[in-house]
Amino acid sequence: MKKYILALLFTAFLSCTASTANAATSPTPEDKTAEIRDQLITNIASRVAQLKLVERRGIIGEVSDATNTQITITDSQNNTRFIDVDELTKFSDPTAKGTFGISDIEKGDIIGVLGLYNKESRRILARFVNITSLPTIVHGGITSIDNENYVLNVTTEDGKLIAVEVENLTRTNSYTQEDGLMKSGFSKIKENLSIVVTGVLDKKDKNRVIATRIIFFPEIPLSPKVNAASERVKSR
Amino acid sequence: MKKEKLILLFIATLLGLVVAGVLFYLYQTTKIVSTPSTKTITLASPTPTVIPSISLTLDRPKDEEVVSEKVLIVSGKTQSNATIVILTDSSEDVITPSADGKFSTTVNLEDGENILEVTAIAPNGESIVIKKTITYSLEEF
Repeated sequence: MKKYILALLFTAFLSCTASTANAATSPTPEDKTAEIRDQLITNIASRVAQLKLVERRGIIGEVSDATNTQITITDSQNNTRFIDVDELTKFSDPTAKGTFGISDIEKGDIIGVLGLYNKESRRILARFVNITSLPTIVHGGITSIDNENYVLNVTTEDGKLIAVEVENLTRTNSYTQEDGLMKSGFSKIKENLSIVVTGVLDKKDKNRVIATRIIFFPEIPLSPKVNAASERVKSR
Repeated sequence: MKKEKLILLFIATLLGLVVAGVLFYLYQTTKIVSTPSTKTITLASPTPTVIPSISLTLDRPKDEEVVSEKVLIVSGKTQSNATIVILTDSSEDVITPSADGKFSTTVNLEDGENILEVTAIAPNGESIVIKKTITYSLEEF
């Protein structure tokens, strides 16, 4: 019996050794070529995927935090964005007298960033960072006019009451279906009309805008939302 | 002898079980269960979703796009009787869409980052705004 078991084990050992030796035979030139081709395909696919993952993008936002390697901003859509900074990133500020770098960027600054956006990590590797400014744009209805001080009180659809200062340099236009966009003036502006104002926010009063451009629409009345918001303001 | 041992073991186990049962019963009867205080949960009535009477979609340009030409095509769709206001940092334009609501125009960009704001205003005054950041740059990186 023992003899039979030993014979069986010996046969099994032999067959295992033979198969291993078979597998370990040296690859043929065809195999090598195929291996190189596969490696190349893998490398190219990886590079293409990498290129698709990164794209050039430009964003604007307000700085909420800045370190030596990263800037955090809140963009124009109110999203928090993370910007990576490296030794290739160039910084500029049109108002700066000397050199300008990351250490000069402070919380509250408005910056424009041009760089490489990674779709996977959703971060931007900044190549250019510059200090900029954002115009304030107000959409709403004219709820009252202060003719003495050249101020238009504009109520927005979300219920904000903005005082719009009209100055000599303010470019005022009106728009009608018939005449299109026409040059106009403060005296032509009437209450209960829709208006779009572009300007600069008063640093002391966040509800005050110094207008640079105005377009009002004599044919378009106040939005129902503006009316409702205006009623709410009056009832307070 | 063995039989006696087994009987004793059985009796001891039985006694142990009886004692444990009695103790458990006593514990259960003396346990004070605090009555749950009643809470009144008031469910806030769901705020009705305001359906805007006007819609606006922008096909071009893409937000945060970097372009190498100063003239930018702006196109999209809104309702046919809307008035469209297109504002950039330095220019403004007011247009009306075609009968199917589609519109297309061009705007001039300034160097660097530009804020493009497109507003569609319905005849009743309701408006909808889309804001995009477009960067004009010839930098290679």
